[in-house]
Amino acid sequence: MNSETLDTLDTYSKNKYKYGFVTDIDDEKPKKGLNEDTIKFISLKKNEPEWMLNWRLKAYSKWKKMKEPKWANLSFPEIDYQDIYYYSAPIGFEKKPKDLSEVDPKLIETYNKLGIPLEEQKVLAGVAVDVVFDSVSVATTYKGELEKLGIIFCSIGEAIQKHPDLIKKYLGSVIPPGDHSFSALNSAVFTDGSFVYIPEGVKCPMELSTYFRINAENTGQFERTLIIADKGSYVSYLEGCTAPKRDDNQLHAANVELIALEDAEIKYSTVQNWYPGDENGKGGIYNFVTKRGLCAGKNSKISWTQVETGSAITWKYPSCILKGDNSIGEFYSVAITNNFQQADTGTKMTHIGKNTKSKIISKGISLGKSQNTYRGEVSFLRKADKARNYTQCDSLLVGNQCGAHTVPYIDSKNNTAVIEHEASTSKINEDQLYYCRQRGLSHEEAVSLIVNGFCKQVLQELPMEFAVEAQKLVSISLEGSVG
Amino acid sequence: MSIQDNYLKNKKNIFFSENKDIQSHREKLINIFENNRFDKKNNESLKNINLKKFIDFKYRYLISEETSVINNNQENIYSIVSVNGQCSSFKDDKIEITKILDEDYNDFSKNNTIENNDHFVNLNSLFLNSGFKIVIKKNNNIKIKISNIITDDDLTIFQKNNYICEEGSSLNLIEEYENKNNSISNILNVIKLEKNSQLNHFLIQDNSPNHNLIITSHSSCKKDSTYTQKVYNFSEGYVRNFHYSELIEANSEADLQGIFFLKDNNTTNNKTFVKHLAEDCKSNQVYKGILNDRSKATYFSNTHVDQVAQKTEGYQLSKGILLSDNASYFSKPELKIYADDVKCSHGSTIGPIDENAIFYLRSRGMSKIAATKILISSFINEELSSIDNEQMSEIIQKKLVRYLSKVK
Repeated sequence: MNSETLDTLDTYSKNKYKYGFVTDIDDEKPKKGLNEDTIKFISLKKNEPEWMLNWRLKAYSKWKKMKEPKWANLSFPEIDYQDIYYYSAPIGFEKKPKDLSEVDPKLIETYNKLGIPLEEQKVLAGVAVDVVFDSVSVATTYKGELEKLGIIFCSIGEAIQKHPDLIKKYLGSVIPPGDHSFSALNSAVFTDGSFVYIPEGVKCPMELSTYFRINAENTGQFERTLIIADKGSYVSYLEGCTAPKRDDNQLHAANVELIALEDAEIKYSTVQNWYPGDENGKGGIYNFVTKRGLCAGKNSKISWTQVETGSAITWKYPSCILKGDNSIGEFYSVAITNNFQQADTGTKMTHIGKNTKSKIISKGISLGKSQNTYRGEVSFLRKADKARNYTQCDSLLVGNQCGAHTVPYIDSKNNTAVIEHEASTSKINEDQLYYCRQRGLSHEEAVSLIVNGFCKQVLQELPMEFAVEAQKLVSISLEGSVG
Repeated sequence: MSIQDNYLKNKKNIFFSENKDIQSHREKLINIFENNRFDKKNNESLKNINLKKFIDFKYRYLISEETSVINNNQENIYSIVSVNGQCSSFKDDKIEITKILDEDYNDFSKNNTIENNDHFVNLNSLFLNSGFKIVIKKNNNIKIKISNIITDDDLTIFQKNNYICEEGSSLNLIEEYENKNNSISNILNVIKLEKNSQLNHFLIQDNSPNHNLIITSHSSCKKDSTYTQKVYNFSEGYVRNFHYSELIEANSEADLQGIFFLKDNNTTNNKTFVKHLAEDCKSNQVYKGILNDRSKATYFSNTHVDQVAQKTEGYQLSKGILLSDNASYFSKPELKIYADDVKCSHGSTIGPIDENAIFYLRSRGMSKIAATKILISSFINEELSSIDNEQMSEIIQKKLVRYLSKVK
């Protein structure tokens, strides 16, 4: 490797986290630690009905008996679940502000720093934003317009109050609380998140979006999102995360459940940029996310798109259960790891129904001393006649101290199903670099251009509102370069 | 009967049970079994296996009187008949065949990382009752054919073989496993290739339904050496092919290939693992399988590229054809890469025979069965046509025809 490349790498890996700032807002917390009292405290704070509390307690008793899954290619110190706050909400949030002027100006300022002014987004982008600051929804915009169509878009806490039937029917139906220890943990202590219900035949006219943000130190965030698309409906949901700079590791264990009924389509896009830790691997978020979608009805479709650039540890496998005949599952992912980041991410496509199709495109980029793993499972069950899968996972290595790994599991029990899987791992092509340099690009620009081209297949799947931001994040992760 | 009791009861028949070092090593292995008794749930390489057969086996071994013969009818061509895993000693200026010795056992058990998590290799070390060592001397070009024969029903063969190719030597090795009796044969081949040596290893497996073959190989390649392995599995009984390769010095190559043909209730487990530990090495792992009836197969492939192993090329390919509703195939092609200047890829496909291709052939007047057979043959044609040994190619063709005759 020439010295220039090394220099560039050096700049990349020294890139500081731009969004490392903390907003001072008084927190209201229960005591540290996890026990039945914590759960009762959370439930009481959220003013939940008894069946919800019981549901949580049941999940907690399951969690107590479970161990963390260890199969991922990750190494991190033991998580002390008793050293974490399980609830934190900015003061005075039991009484929600009705519009933005009532919101704490400090909060608004925080979002401005992140480049997502609520006001501007509201007007310009036509996006209804359900902002989650720590654990309580700050503001919900564009509610009126959505209400007209009968779309329910609110925090999960509100949904538990107002739509108990839907919650009772669907919560935990895709990710059972006893699925694994993180799902049980989330089920027991989840504080907020979004709830979306799209009624029959409605095409949601705008992209629904939530901004998550971890603020208080040592507060694990346990979001729970539930999206239900009724027959013939369509929704596109955006999720993005940035977090302030902290030294202590923060735990994040979100659960996201999607349910698509007959002819419905859900598109779920994520840009994840939690604090990844500093250049020595200190600090950073532990991100253990369970995302699962169920294509319950015929001709339904669920599509996951994710850009993962942050977190010290990423453990995330957005999956699709293709139960309805002719249903489609898609997964597009870009994962970039730098410094000491570790990412073990991928998907799971379970084909149950006939003529089900799935497509997986995964791009991993490792820099610095990071480890990047794709782990995916595609399985065809006995009755998945004529099912089809195409998987492509490519990895790019920049620097000789990082690692890129691919661990696909492929299981076919049906002789009419066709599965194709390909993967490649390589470094940035010297010829391409040379070509770009020849045309007057700096080394950094050239690398950035090539990496962006490498990810294009995935980035182009993002909705317009997100595409710009995602490209920005890719560039930030490679720092100094153009986007 | 527990593995420990089984071992103690038959200790006198087992190799090296007097040796203290080996004794203590075996005690450790027994401990592993006692603590972690074939944990099927957390070990996917044990998928589809009827474990009871391999854990609660009845140990039985016979030393055959009319042991192995070596024919040297032609220059550089040797044919060996190994009976119950034993082979008589032989020595000339090109090769040397001996029994395995204590040090060979130690050599492997101490320098080997796979053994801790592979229970079948542990069983092999524990109940070792046969095996031989073949050394190909410097700069010789040799062909060897080994017929592995088991003489009686209900035998349990635990065999360790050592192959050493000295500097500049070249070996063409054909091994045949064709047994019709109800036995368990657990074989571990330890293969060492010195500088600039070459080994072409063919394994033809064609056992009857009651015969269980567990074959594991561990090869290590030094500078400029090449190890090529081709496995043809036509067995009607259970076969486990686990092959590990280490490229320990620069410019070495490992090529692990296999084809399996399954029918009825048969299962097979396959694994290839290549570890790149030096620069400029190449590896290739290709397995193809055809599964009919209720057969089940697994294939794990893994390319591990160490941080120092720059300029590596590592390729994997896995292809499966399912001919029946009830067949199932599981594949897991893994890449673990810690160096940046590498070209590594894997591809994996599972599916039925291409309907368009069948349609094409049928529209030209072929029956469906004939079309299917032609397409199966063409699926593996690349592998078959690359066999340069005419005699072998003929043997394999015959077996293929036999397999195809059962396809409906």
